[in-house]
Amino acid sequence: MDLLAHLIDPWFLGLIFGGTLMGIVFGAIPGMTATMAVAVCLPLTFSLGLVNGLALLLSLYVGGITGGLVPAILLGIPGTPSSITTTFDGFPMAKRGEGERALKIAIIASVVGGLVSLVALYFFAPVLAQFAIKFSYVEKFLIIFFALTVMAALSKDMLLGIFSGVLGIFLSLIGTYDITNGGNGHTRLIPPGMEYWLDGGFALLPVLIGIFGVTVILEEAELGMPRGQSLKDIEVGPHSRFSFSVFRGQWVNLLRSGGIGTFVGILPGVGGSAASILSYTAAKTTSRHPERYGKGEPAGVIASEAGNNGLTGGALVPLLSLGIPGDSTTALLIGAFALQGIQVGPLFISQNIDTWNAMIAAMLISNLVMLVVMFFAIRWFAMVIAVPKQILYPFILMMCVIGAYTINYGIIFDVWTLLIFGVFGWIMAKLRLEVAPFIIGFILGPAAEIYFVKSLESFGDLAIFFTKSWIAVVLWVLIVASVAGSIAISRRNARMGEPSA
Amino acid sequence: MDNLTRVTIDFDTSHLIFPTIIAIVLGLLGLAILVRDRAAILGSGRMWATTFRAMDKTRFFGALALTIVYFLLMVPVGNIWPNAGYGFLICSVPYVVALGLLFMHARTPAAIGAMLAVAVIAPPLIWWLFSEIFFLTLP
Repeated sequence: MDLLAHLIDPWFLGLIFGGTLMGIVFGAIPGMTATMAVAVCLPLTFSLGLVNGLALLLSLYVGGITGGLVPAILLGIPGTPSSITTTFDGFPMAKRGEGERALKIAIIASVVGGLVSLVALYFFAPVLAQFAIKFSYVEKFLIIFFALTVMAALSKDMLLGIFSGVLGIFLSLIGTYDITNGGNGHTRLIPPGMEYWLDGGFALLPVLIGIFGVTVILEEAELGMPRGQSLKDIEVGPHSRFSFSVFRGQWVNLLRSGGIGTFVGILPGVGGSAASILSYTAAKTTSRHPERYGKGEPAGVIASEAGNNGLTGGALVPLLSLGIPGDSTTALLIGAFALQGIQVGPLFISQNIDTWNAMIAAMLISNLVMLVVMFFAIRWFAMVIAVPKQILYPFILMMCVIGAYTINYGIIFDVWTLLIFGVFGWIMAKLRLEVAPFIIGFILGPAAEIYFVKSLESFGDLAIFFTKSWIAVVLWVLIVASVAGSIAISRRNARMGEPSA
Repeated sequence: MDNLTRVTIDFDTSHLIFPTIIAIVLGLLGLAILVRDRAAILGSGRMWATTFRAMDKTRFFGALALTIVYFLLMVPVGNIWPNAGYGFLICSVPYVVALGLLFMHARTPAAIGAMLAVAVIAPPLIWWLFSEIFFLTLP
């Protein structure tokens, strides 16, 4: 089926429409994220087939990232972590009675950011994949190593970030050293008495759903289910005329922010909040009126939203060309591919050209659906914020159970894994360990092991990691640069923090 | 010089190489954290005490307990009618009701009514969608 055939398939379009709507709802409810939406809907893709399943998940992703702007602007609470910077200027605008204007500005900025990154994905992923086909075990191992350092470097506390990532790798190694990937089939690291359950290790998806779904609900329960918002909180101001003239002179800002978002997405393991923070900072520092930022400057809203939607296409680039997820949501997409028995990596695009076209089409349509729906129905969408949590959370937990149970055709231990990692995620947050590096470590751990051991088996020399090829050398330069850069940043932050502390 | 970096991998024990390295790295990082954050770690008892004091214990432990009971009952109940997914269906309705009541603040008749409606409609709908339409196995 080619691109056109997808565009007229009503089932495909219906799923995108439904997925985008549901994503917006998830994104708009504070505490629920695009990642959670994708996690909850993963089991659906089982029966939908790959193309339709991906259409659903990708539109959930696009909708979820965008939906976060609604509470960010109307309540000053980011609906998703990636809309933190939207609150800086969006909320002051809403307080001035310009809520509707701010929302519409944010929506258009989101769509432009999404489209910029889609173009980048369409042209960049195949090129990178072509290049990555030549990679041997050595380069593949170094890429994973690089992904882990970048991700640790961007965590709040580098040492704790790296520790979380390594802990993720460690837990992913529990179970059998898989024969199908060239392992010897022996088991390791299984706590005594758990051999029956942990022979295959912890299943990836229950771990993800537990950490992204159950943990959030436990945290809310701990706080006593803080009362949600009522409809009165989200009234849109009466005199907030929106006109496209606000975008005059903002094209550079739009494209730059979309570009920054895309680039941050391409860096493996870096999440959405970094994308919007970087593009907001860039807009502020290059602005002729930086003092207006943070007080209700439309350009700030534009930068933040174009930045976080730029992430959507960018995060798919490393996933589809290297098999490494760009952020935690795309990490869940790996699960969707795995359910259908498809390996993502350098060969994916050339061997699954249909799926690739469908993914591009799905993201394009989803961006357009999002534009139309949000632009004209934003007032009604704002209402989902007022859905009571006592109705929402039990329902989410029930969906998590279905997700965990069906993923491996009915294993009840997977449901327990959900709870184990839900509690584990709650403890991690208390100990200031970071979830994102942990998850990336957990996902990439088994591949890192295979590539590392196979490199040594075939070359028998540790020096091979430095001498294999010029690509290996470049990767080492990148690794050292990312570590050095982040040490410099954390030093500077520490110095800047001293006088006030 | 060349001999320093040479390694031979014994296939029979190759499953232990990477976990050992990762365990060592994890241990070193842990040690570094221990040294750097020793004050915070020594004070972690206080952190947990504050956490538990500030916590809404009824809702937190209630949610945990309900979830554990829900998971425990699902399989035995489902085994009464094998492969029909009734375990999920029968356990989910009371679970959604109980958890909803637990999380609710003002238990007004209207709020309880809305919640009961969701609890009676949602699980059967989900069950029907997954087990009858998508043919997925439920407990």
